[in-house]
Amino acid sequence: MTPAANGRAIAAEPEEHGSAAPAPPSGRPGEIAYESFVDDEPSPTYAEDLREAATELWRFREMLYQLTLRDIRIRYKQAVIGFGWALLMPALVVLSGCLVRYAMTRKSGAPLDLAGIASIAVKALPWSFFVGTITFATQSLTGNLQLVSKVYFPRAVLPLAATLGQAFDAAIGALVLVLVLPFLDVHLSVQLLWVPVLLLLLFLLTVAASLFLSCANLFFRDVKYIVQVMLTFGIFFTPVFFDPAMMGQRLGRLIMLNPLSPLLEGLRLAIVDRHDLLLPLVAPDGVVVWSPGYLVYAALWAILGLVASAMIFHRSEFVFAEYI
Amino acid sequence: MSDASVSFRHVWKKFRYGEVHNSLRDLLPALGRRLIRRASRDDARDLQSGDFWALRDVSFEVRPGEAIGIIGPNGAGKSTVLKLLTRIVRPTRGGCTVRGRIGALIELSAGFHPDLTGRENIYLQGSIMGMHRAEIAAKFDEIVEFAGIPDFIDTPVKRYSSGMHARLGFAIAAHLDPDVLIIDEVLAVGDAAFQQKAFGRIAEMREQQVPLVVVSHQLDRIAQLCTKAILLNRGRVVHGGTPAETIAAYVGNSSSTADAIAGDSATRIESMVLRAPAQVPSGGVITVVITGTVRPHWTGTRESVMLRVASVETGITVFSTDTALNGIALPYSGAFTLEVDLQLNVPSNVYTIQSLVWDTLTSREVFPGPSAQVNVAEGLAFVGSVQMNPRLRLEHGEGAAAPTGDVTPLV
Repeated sequence: MTPAANGRAIAAEPEEHGSAAPAPPSGRPGEIAYESFVDDEPSPTYAEDLREAATELWRFREMLYQLTLRDIRIRYKQAVIGFGWALLMPALVVLSGCLVRYAMTRKSGAPLDLAGIASIAVKALPWSFFVGTITFATQSLTGNLQLVSKVYFPRAVLPLAATLGQAFDAAIGALVLVLVLPFLDVHLSVQLLWVPVLLLLLFLLTVAASLFLSCANLFFRDVKYIVQVMLTFGIFFTPVFFDPAMMGQRLGRLIMLNPLSPLLEGLRLAIVDRHDLLLPLVAPDGVVVWSPGYLVYAALWAILGLVASAMIFHRSEFVFAEYI
Repeated sequence: MSDASVSFRHVWKKFRYGEVHNSLRDLLPALGRRLIRRASRDDARDLQSGDFWALRDVSFEVRPGEAIGIIGPNGAGKSTVLKLLTRIVRPTRGGCTVRGRIGALIELSAGFHPDLTGRENIYLQGSIMGMHRAEIAAKFDEIVEFAGIPDFIDTPVKRYSSGMHARLGFAIAAHLDPDVLIIDEVLAVGDAAFQQKAFGRIAEMREQQVPLVVVSHQLDRIAQLCTKAILLNRGRVVHGGTPAETIAAYVGNSSSTADAIAGDSATRIESMVLRAPAQVPSGGVITVVITGTVRPHWTGTRESVMLRVASVETGITVFSTDTALNGIALPYSGAFTLEVDLQLNVPSNVYTIQSLVWDTLTSREVFPGPSAQVNVAEGLAFVGSVQMNPRLRLEHGEGAAAPTGDVTPLV
């Protein structure tokens, strides 16, 4: 292009736009209002940091929505099984659970009844949501290297979008589960009101783990392998195929230390056994199946875990571009 | 705080050369430290082994209506400045403020997903740049039209040509309506026609008083767009001022070139006079008269007197010649007068004619002489970078008896 040609192009523009006033810099969505890093400014408090992280996330909610949509679209575009994918993983978990339980009944003599299958189904879905989310979220930052190293946005958007994308799949699974459960002798009860509480805690716990692990995997690329191994064998340390009470008093309690255990057990007790989670439950053989303390324990994990991992994530996200 | 839209106040930025944490063993202590202190604040004062300063004490401001160009060789820290402005990284020391929404014409299609259609990618990329659905929807047709891809809007972008890909990326970014616009080498997007359109769009935003920060190796673009410029070298601002001055400093045409070692040369230039009218038509001839002296010195035989002609606008040297190239030997000692006729076969512009003493052995400027400016005005209509003395002949009709004399509107 010649300088002379450019000169004409510029000269032509002001006629159209000469009177345009500068746009007011406030009040628009998505705006980065004001940013300042001053050398000797005191280090922000935890509360300030968390508020900053939340504000930025809110400002970029459209991006979170679009990224979630992207993840869902990609999963179902050019895919053989399409929406069946959302059901495949939980269905496989339920099937393997039934096999394991069937083998156990052959030894113990207690038959695998409909309630047993319902228990496995109720716990398999949240478990596959957790596993799916952690798998995708752990690699969400490193998998979007171009974005992280070239564009500004609150980085938490990436693991959160992975979580929401999996939540969409889980919702499809839940819809199918709701249709199937009546045939497994599960009926409506007041205790179903516990389900949203438990699902919220599960979501918070999953987000906490996603934030922490995606951040850790950015700094240390072997984290994803460790996570894969943990998730593969995690099913033996999480009560999906079995109930902790089957392990007896001591081992059962140990299993319940896994923060996922009280949530899955709570879901089973509320949905299948129609048990009020505010009341303790003791089996006829004296083994404690449930105590309200478990719920408090899991809630503490979810909330404190989320605060701590959001903190770690936010405080290190400014160096992501340098370390990725 | 001032009313500048962009301000950099004594910014220092440290980077590391190599890998940092390699093993998981470092994970927990590292994350623990993050929990206690903000990442960018650790050890901000000193360099440790493996660190280097990518920026050292860089300060500048851009106000509404201003445009700053940042130039410098590769590795000077230009990209780091942009990363700090767009908040991808934070300064190690100093302050950096940007007011309002930042529009960054950098990595225009970083958010594109190959399997999504153009339409889906517009919404995705727009949201990454901070736009909302309603805003994107309102500008959707304009974006598609600007990119020139209406027929392919529902095709996955993996089937786009690279030009379409780049055009779509630019079109989205160009419709962001930013309060501050940051441009990095993206003026080379698409074909010539699209580049023209893209450049027009940027110029239009400048007319609307949007402050610009431009990084480019296309110095003529900097000269056209910017109201001021800084020259970065190895992380420092080594020159700041008008684009022409800064470009001249970068290209090495200023009389105070760092390489010149005045006083050690055998030859000295004392005066330079232009025999030229106030405005020279393109293709016109001027005469440059240089006087100087030579002292007996061992470097004398390898020195020559050089003339360099550079465009003031772009800083680019368009022509240079010296006595040695023309087979003229300077005297061994004593005074001399050198007359040089130059035919200015260049487009209309202001040019600097710089005289200097050149060491032909070491290829270095050893004595900066005086310089002068010459204003070349439109001599005849042409477009391009070289005036080729066109001679046009036209015959009328079949076997016309029209005279075939040359038409030379030149001096």
